[in-house]
Amino acid sequence: MIEVKDIKKKFGRKKVLDGVSFTANKGEITCLIGINGVGKTTILNAIMALTPLNKGEILINGEKLNKHSFEKVTFIPDAITMLPQMTIADAMQFMQDFYKTWNQERATELLGFFRLEETEKIASLSKGNTAKINLLLGLALDVDFLLMDEPFSGIDIFSREQIAEVFTSHLVEGRGVIITTHEVHDIEHLIDKVVLLDNGVVLKEFNSEEVRENEGKSVVDVMREVYHK
Amino acid sequence: MQIDLNNRDPVYIQVIRYFKEQIATGMFEPGQEIPSRRELANKIKINPNTAQRAYKEMEEQGLIYTERNLPSRITKDEQILGAVREELIVEAVESFVTSIRSINVPVDEVLDLVKEQYTKESKE
Repeated sequence: MIEVKDIKKKFGRKKVLDGVSFTANKGEITCLIGINGVGKTTILNAIMALTPLNKGEILINGEKLNKHSFEKVTFIPDAITMLPQMTIADAMQFMQDFYKTWNQERATELLGFFRLEETEKIASLSKGNTAKINLLLGLALDVDFLLMDEPFSGIDIFSREQIAEVFTSHLVEGRGVIITTHEVHDIEHLIDKVVLLDNGVVLKEFNSEEVRENEGKSVVDVMREVYHK
Repeated sequence: MQIDLNNRDPVYIQVIRYFKEQIATGMFEPGQEIPSRRELANKIKINPNTAQRAYKEMEEQGLIYTERNLPSRITKDEQILGAVREELIVEAVESFVTSIRSINVPVDEVLDLVKEQYTKESKE
């Protein structure tokens, strides 16, 4: 489990996170939703220990963040982080050299799953294929938690469908996923838990199937209530 | 397999309903093998935990059964299969009655219309 406990973060005088708390379980997909720049990416960065916090703490499987945390959790960015002149094979080799949690077998399987060619250059990838490569490089690591920043943003419908398919496959099975998005419509039936953020605080945290069952509301219904109060 | 999911009913209940409809219309036959939980989740793009819940519920209701390490199958229990058909019919009639009652039509007139419409549609 990832426990985010009352974290605060200021950039200069601007409070980006003003006491954010939520939990994300293994084997579940947790979705952080915020209408506009409400610090979703900052939260992911904080979980990766990439940004020092002003207050609060984050626990992964009960442990405070430490230098071994990145063996349990990985961050999948929304832009390419590999050099443009690299091929996909080079990028995979790079990951293998730097991460002992790299699982080559799974990486190869993912290549096939996404129908990508190893020889293709990073520079020549479409936006959709870039997203798939980012996903591949992250999913091929044997970690408990995957953090995905806007995995569906600005890519074509077929790439979106393929990515959605990954979420239901054994490639994610048993792991915990936290994704950020500002647009939930496509993935309403895929997510377990929703955390609604605004102005650096959590407005509501709920289980999507429970809200349907107990209140007869869709995720978007709840968003409407919470954000248009 | 095509399920039109809505966003307001619990997904596991929609899945169970789909299975019941398939059973009642004979699209799923007694003893027929059904997709694994993960295959189902993948096909209709729902959360695997939800697919798991639907299957668990259907097992408890006796709609499907799973023998160790084998794919799940539709029950062969005639009584349960009959009850599924009955349940769907009763549900459909109830919802029809509710909506027709609000228009205040005498029941005999409704029944004549139903018969007429029913034969017309099956001829088409």
